Amino acid sequence: MKKTLCFILLAFTLIHAKEFNAPMKTYMEGLSAEAKAANPSFTGFDAKRGEAIFLSKHTGKKGTEISCTTCHSTDLKKGGQNVNTNKPITALAPSVNSTRLTDVAEVEKWLSEGSALEKGDVLTYIINQ
Amino acid sequence: MKKILLITALGLSFAFAGSVSPADNAQYQKECASCHFGYQPALLSKASWEKVMGNLSDHFGTDASLGKVESEQILNYLVTNAGSGKITANNNTMQITKSPYFIKEHRKISAKLIEQKEVGSLSNCMACHTTADKGNYSERAIVIPNYGRWE
Repeated sequence: MKKTLCFILLAFTLIHAKEFNAPMKTYMEGLSAEAKAANPSFTGFDAKRGEAIFLSKHTGKKGTEISCTTCHSTDLKKGGQNVNTNKPITALAPSVNSTRLTDVAEVEKWLSEGSALEKGDVLTYIINQ
Repeated sequence: MKKILLITALGLSFAFAGSVSPADNAQYQKECASCHFGYQPALLSKASWEKVMGNLSDHFGTDASLGKVESEQILNYLVTNAGSGKITANNNTMQITKSPYFIKEHRKISAKLIEQKEVGSLSNCMACHTTADKGNYSERAIVIPNYGRWE
């Protein structure tokens, strides 16, 4: 019985894990300060704007249309596949893949393009998945 | 004793049946194998790896640039463990699939099996070689999607 309760509680906390860890919080605060410096009317990051960026289509280096979803798929709770190599990619959603958005160096490496506002918005979108 | 002999014999048979040292370098796995299969260093010659690592800004159409230190460390790992012999013979290109031995070994695979979405291209080792990540390419471990075992 205790075990079941534990599992339920664990599942509940996992589902509601929408918080960044301490190093990521510091990183997000840095982005926030940068966004504010670029635009004094900035009030905070927005998951909806982040989602729009995540879905937006661009012309890739190979001349074909590409977006984040090309490799990560539109359902972040499911895995994706690298469009060039077919290598499977594990889910981006922290609710199903707890390692995501936990390592600042990894986040900076993979999310190297875009303004502080864009990065913050996209990360806010992903952390809520 | 018998067991040891058996294991030795098994090990030897693997060595002759398409086996290379696994790509057990953590940095290589992290920086290179995030996007594609971690091809073992023995699958390309030293000259080939030098070309690959000298062209990372246009890595088969993708910018895969690394920091100077990381790049040097990975190049060092690759050339130290680079291949020689039949696998890399007459191939100093950047592609394993250009090796005459590789081409010969894959000549019987139909285009349909290669082009299907579960495989995509001959660079997707793990699609059929189920133990490729361990460096084991033996025929016994081949399962081609929508075809089955190869042996």
